[in-house]
Amino acid sequence: MISVASVTKQYGNLTAVDKVSFQVQLGEIVGFVGPNGAGKSTMLKMLSTYLYPTSGQIFIDGLDVVKEPLEVRRRIGYLAGDTPLYRDMRVDKFLQFVGAARGLVKEELKNSFERVVDLCDIDSVLLQRVSECSTGFRQRIGLATALIHDPPILLLDEPTHGFDPLQVIAFRELLRSMSTDKAILFSTHIVSDVEAISDRVLIIHLGKLLGDGRQEEVAAAAGVTGASLETVFAQLVRAAH
Amino acid sequence: MPLTDSSRLASSKTVFKRELLAYFDSTIAYVYASVFLVCSATIFMNSFFLNAVVDMDPYFEILPLLLIPLVPAITMRSWAEERAQNTFELLMTLPLTPLQIVVGKYFSALCFFVLVLCGSLPIVVMLSWLGEPDAGVIAASYFGAVMLGAFFLSFGQFVSSLTHDQIVAYVLATLFGFVFVLTGHDKVVEVVDGLLPDAQLGTWLYESISVVPHYEAFCRGVISGADILYFVFLSSFFLWMNALSLQRSKY
Repeated sequence: MISVASVTKQYGNLTAVDKVSFQVQLGEIVGFVGPNGAGKSTMLKMLSTYLYPTSGQIFIDGLDVVKEPLEVRRRIGYLAGDTPLYRDMRVDKFLQFVGAARGLVKEELKNSFERVVDLCDIDSVLLQRVSECSTGFRQRIGLATALIHDPPILLLDEPTHGFDPLQVIAFRELLRSMSTDKAILFSTHIVSDVEAISDRVLIIHLGKLLGDGRQEEVAAAAGVTGASLETVFAQLVRAAH
Repeated sequence: MPLTDSSRLASSKTVFKRELLAYFDSTIAYVYASVFLVCSATIFMNSFFLNAVVDMDPYFEILPLLLIPLVPAITMRSWAEERAQNTFELLMTLPLTPLQIVVGKYFSALCFFVLVLCGSLPIVVMLSWLGEPDAGVIAASYFGAVMLGAFFLSFGQFVSSLTHDQIVAYVLATLFGFVFVLTGHDKVVEVVDGLLPDAQLGTWLYESISVVPHYEAFCRGVISGADILYFVFLSSFFLWMNALSLQRSKY
């Protein structure tokens, strides 16, 4: 569903992502982990068509993100890192706006709206302005906008940011429940999130992909067989310096 | 599945509705409308009492100068605020083309501007009550004002797409607004021509850059296809430039 082939992104002289290649299949939850500034968000921005790669190719459901960005956007649900929401809008109006912009109308929009409100548990804030909601609720509203059109591919940048421990558990259960018919890629710098819910892990640092595989495969490749993901992560990042 | 014309329009309409509601949801819209109406009405009433003539010429004469600082106040937030709030990323990852978003935003700004302009209609009612003003000239002048506002809005929205800062967007749009209007004033043309007599720079600016001659034709009651085309072409050009600048930000 997601195919990334030797993708590089440069901002002037800075190489944010350097010849990264990986794939994500339907039914997989893949955790994209790396320190701050590793290139995770830039990679997700390219997958979402917000940015185009400097070189290399990205295919989403077989579609080139540069040649067919609109079709790609219809197939993805994207939660950007800083949870961009219209703060002056009421939560229900905001969700309806995103649904309408995604082409949902009348009954379809109503049903999708009710589904995501229930899934993300945001019915208690529907009549509030976004600016009046707590960070955790804003994150859940962002998640609802990513899910409103029930996309087959989910791209989530730091999705648990601002969640309390109970919300983190609920979020993990939500991802698990959706994973059978979706390809899910989420970025984080919280290694425990990846350990808890990912089928596979991608480790990125300084724009380069240092590890790709199941946790035990990545540990074996790093020469620390049987070690926790935290140890593997630290080992790979230190070795890269 | 390729987009049909109606779904393209529906996408722009979705953006249009959100933007228009955002205008009326913000206090700045009401401040803007009040300042515009108070300034324009005060200037008109002064002139009306001095000259005692039942027409709206003084109102439409001063309008371009009033629009220079006031239209950028509508457009400055257009893109600069999206970037400041990071909602730019949300908009640009929805299945909408840059042009659909630009058009939706533009028509909401134009609609807001027309509504504010309608706030001056009590002057027409007052003049009709006091005498018999030339309804044709007044209607043509209003049409010209909408055309002029449409051009300033498209330019201001384009400028807003070039910066993250609302103040920079406001200052740049105001500055260029002065150029577009003042190059149409006789005294400015004379002074600039006088600086470089051989080049006739002032005359060249008047003929090629100033919007005033095209606007003044409407104020004389003349609605010509050439003047309409001029404003439609310029507005479309800046909307297209606006869409291009959004597309360019992806690289």
